[in-house]
Amino acid sequence: MSTAVPPRAPRDPDAANPHRNESGSDAYVRRVGRAFIIAFYGAVRAIKLYPIENAAVQKALDDLTAASRTILDSEKELEFRASGEYIFINATRLRLDIDNYTSFSHLLSLFRASGIGSLRVLDGVTPRNWIVLLSMLQAPGDESPEDRYFQLAGKLEAAKVTTFDFGPPTDSDGDRAQRQQVKAAAKQTYSQSVAATKDVINSVRLGRAPNVRKLKRVVQGIVDTILNDESSLMGLTTIRDYDEYTFTHSVNVCIFSVALGRRLGLGKLQLYDLGLAALFHDIGKARVPVDVINKSDALSEEEWRQITNHPWLGVLSLFRMRASQDLPYRSMIVAFEHHMKCDLSGYPKVIRPRALSMYSKIVAVADGFDAATTRRAYQHDPMSPAAVLQEMRDNPRRGMDQVVVKAFINLLGLYPVGTVVVLDTFELAIVHAPNPNPAVMSRPIIRVVSDPQGNILYPGTLFDLTEQSATGVFARTIIKTADPDRYGIKVGDYFV
Amino acid sequence: MSATSAPVSPDAVEDAPEPPFPPAPIEDMLRALGKGVRAHQLYMHNNPTYLKALENLRASFAPVWALTETFTLQITENEFKWEGVVVSHEAGKTSDSLPWTFYKDGIRELRFQRGFEADDLIPFLDVVQRARRHSPDEDDLLVMLWEQDLAHLRYRYVDVGDDAPSAVMADLTAAHLAEPRLVDPPGADDAPLPEETLLASRPGMVNLEDFDSTLYFLDEDEAQYLRDAVANEYAIDLRGNVIAMLLDIFELQTDPAIRSEICEILDGLMLHLLSAAQFRAVAYLLVEVQAAVARATALDPAQRDQLIQIPDRISEPTALSQLLQSLEEAPTLPEQDDLNALFDQLRPSALGTMFAWLARAEEPRIRTLLQTAAGRLASANTAELVRLIGHTDRVVAVEAIRRAGALRSGAAVTPLVRRMTDPDPGTRLAVAHALAEIGSAGALQALERLVDDADRDVRVAAARALAARAYRPALARVEAVVKGKGIREADLTEKMAIFETYGALCGEAGIGLLDGILNGRTFLGKREDEELRACAAMALGRIGSERATESLRRAVSAKDIVVRNAVNKALRGAPA
Repeated sequence: MSTAVPPRAPRDPDAANPHRNESGSDAYVRRVGRAFIIAFYGAVRAIKLYPIENAAVQKALDDLTAASRTILDSEKELEFRASGEYIFINATRLRLDIDNYTSFSHLLSLFRASGIGSLRVLDGVTPRNWIVLLSMLQAPGDESPEDRYFQLAGKLEAAKVTTFDFGPPTDSDGDRAQRQQVKAAAKQTYSQSVAATKDVINSVRLGRAPNVRKLKRVVQGIVDTILNDESSLMGLTTIRDYDEYTFTHSVNVCIFSVALGRRLGLGKLQLYDLGLAALFHDIGKARVPVDVINKSDALSEEEWRQITNHPWLGVLSLFRMRASQDLPYRSMIVAFEHHMKCDLSGYPKVIRPRALSMYSKIVAVADGFDAATTRRAYQHDPMSPAAVLQEMRDNPRRGMDQVVVKAFINLLGLYPVGTVVVLDTFELAIVHAPNPNPAVMSRPIIRVVSDPQGNILYPGTLFDLTEQSATGVFARTIIKTADPDRYGIKVGDYFV
Repeated sequence: MSATSAPVSPDAVEDAPEPPFPPAPIEDMLRALGKGVRAHQLYMHNNPTYLKALENLRASFAPVWALTETFTLQITENEFKWEGVVVSHEAGKTSDSLPWTFYKDGIRELRFQRGFEADDLIPFLDVVQRARRHSPDEDDLLVMLWEQDLAHLRYRYVDVGDDAPSAVMADLTAAHLAEPRLVDPPGADDAPLPEETLLASRPGMVNLEDFDSTLYFLDEDEAQYLRDAVANEYAIDLRGNVIAMLLDIFELQTDPAIRSEICEILDGLMLHLLSAAQFRAVAYLLVEVQAAVARATALDPAQRDQLIQIPDRISEPTALSQLLQSLEEAPTLPEQDDLNALFDQLRPSALGTMFAWLARAEEPRIRTLLQTAAGRLASANTAELVRLIGHTDRVVAVEAIRRAGALRSGAAVTPLVRRMTDPDPGTRLAVAHALAEIGSAGALQALERLVDDADRDVRVAAARALAARAYRPALARVEAVVKGKGIREADLTEKMAIFETYGALCGEAGIGLLDGILNGRTFLGKREDEELRACAAMALGRIGSERATESLRRAVSAKDIVVRNAVNKALRGAPA
């Protein structure tokens, strides 16, 4: 009989236990935990695709059993728990990200559909035990998750499978506290990034040599945050402050670029290189008169020339960076190339042959997206994020690398974070995060911010648009995107 | 650096939980760490003292790992603490203090894991040493630790950013002023497994995503394109790329202030690249600067001069000497192609410095490099070469003389003649060889005078060269030497050289004199010195006429074996 297992308090990674062997460390648990989940998912897929007696299924079950035993032998227990967006193995939060989360989302969907919040695997689990459990989890049915939860327990007992214990979904105080901590950390990282960027750009404008070290710390912080919890920082890119645009824009482009770079498989130090280059990409604008940058009317030919000088002015500015280490060559290249377009039809023009660097292409996409979606003195009606993505993808004259654009869309989702959408329930919502399952990119995680009567709600309520009723009908569906100004909604307020 | 443990305060003992084991192993490790840091700073890394300190430091971790897999140190301004116990105390906030070194840059905790001393110790010591020396503008410990990405060291730091929060996040003001938060960056061992990244898939298993038809998925070609692009990103020559960029800007922007700024940047960049031994990039810069000078429009003379001076600078004696010195002292030399590319760009003004270094370069590759580059420059710039013949540095002058001779430069004759009065016999000898190689009428005319040089080697060289060239105008001078007293006091080699020369130049007219030396008697009835008689025989053999042969036959039975051998040898060589 299943027992409701109270969730354990999140593990304190720094708790001293001198008698714990290496296998007790956080890092070890995270590694074996991820391996367990991959094996679990592999077994689920195998059962879905092949008959049980198929060799692939048998191997997958053996792998899963072995992965379970590895953890049980070393940790003496194995508990899988899902809480909100996080996954815990033996109370250690796995640092999963959107990449691997998409692979495991099917697993979580199964659990959610079966009303399971936690699964404890007991000693002595066998491949037969697993096949029974996984078959039951994947069996079709119309019951509610709660009903399914109790049925599952009964069926396992009838099948004489006693190596699993279940618990319903919970959202512990520890989980909530941890999410709040992550969010607060992201906010501080963002704030410090904008402040440091402002300091550097103003130094350049005043003709002083800026201090690079501060920005290096900033970029390292952004890389750490993206690696730790991408969505927390991505949400802050929606702030798009009008007055501090120059600085928030540089930070936003850095965040987008690092997040995209991570999608493309860049390592930590590579992400750092990319992030630094992204942060510096518009540094040349510090040498363009402010009134030209902020001019709301059409630019004269001379003013346009001044604006288009900012890429190479950025190169000259970067040579003045104080540093005893090597010069920021990569940042110079990105600053120079980010408006050139893939076919070199952009600016600045060159004489010597050149092939755009990949980092320039990444920053170009991130830069174009953030700029087009921000209200400026010369851009009263910014485009919606979805429209910008479509334009980048479908208009070759934009000169964006199509593979990078495709990866960027994959990063942001069909409805990028911050998009205001109208639902079929006559509610308004803001896209909070892309759905982890890429098969349902049209059904992101949203925050409802106005009721059907048009009353603005704050802070609103989060919903997963994949949620269905017992009859399989989606509770809410996006009808179209909307202009937040039309409804008096300040998107950034919902992410701070 | 002192690293003693301060006594644990009674309050601390009372409040803190009991440590899992006595702190002695941690204290010992920290003492060894202090010594290791010091040794890393003071000694070359192959020094036995340094290696011993390192060995001791590594060994000091063993007792700790026998008791735990990981331990954490809390850091204050003056102390390291473990489990609430002070395990190291250093008074003062100086760069010598290890706690202060970490504390001032925001580090508040260090967590060591088993394996640290094997894999991460050296990089850790490097980082600590750099952190102690860094200026306010350079990277601090936090930046460096992050970049090192040590696998067995975790740390927590305080955000000590002195920037006020930006206006966009004004609600953070209170938080900013509150107790700084500790930030725990993700460790290297938390990296996603390969199968968790977008571009990888688990081998051997059908991937459900393959059945998805979502437009936004990357197909395999696109994923490969991205992989290749990322790999290429770190294979491209960044420096060359930036140089091309700068010169494009220079050529396309006509603003004098911008061009001047770029010239300054290029000048500094060249020195920066030289100091970093990036010779290929320097060579590229020099080539492209010249292209830019040729191509740029609306280039005023001042800008042109400014740009042209950039390649000139590396050819200046001071700069080039420093470069060659650094190459001599470098533990490993750059690629030969890179060096060749750079040296191909040197100006004629570099010749003098290269000549000076040829004499003292010890590294064979450097010598070869200099030989090749000097040969190329010399042959293309004979004016400079000729000028260097008169160089005050004798080493340079001699090398110039030698190369002028090898190039058979007629323009070198005049300065060579001036050099004939050089007090150094070695120089005069080089002049003799060079004049001989040049072989022009003027050269030979000048060479003739060296038959009377004060130095024996010079006389011999001059004589032989005149003989080889069959320079008959020198006959009178040579004959005077043959008749003179000086030749009788010369060594055999000189005698032979002079008589061979005489023989080559005199023809039939000289047989009488030679016969007199070989077969005649002095006023007192004595024969000439046997060496002289032998040399006369050689000269007669060189003439080879019938009369000469007859003269030789009269000496066939000479009593002196030296003379007899010389005569027989001469006869063997003479025509029948």
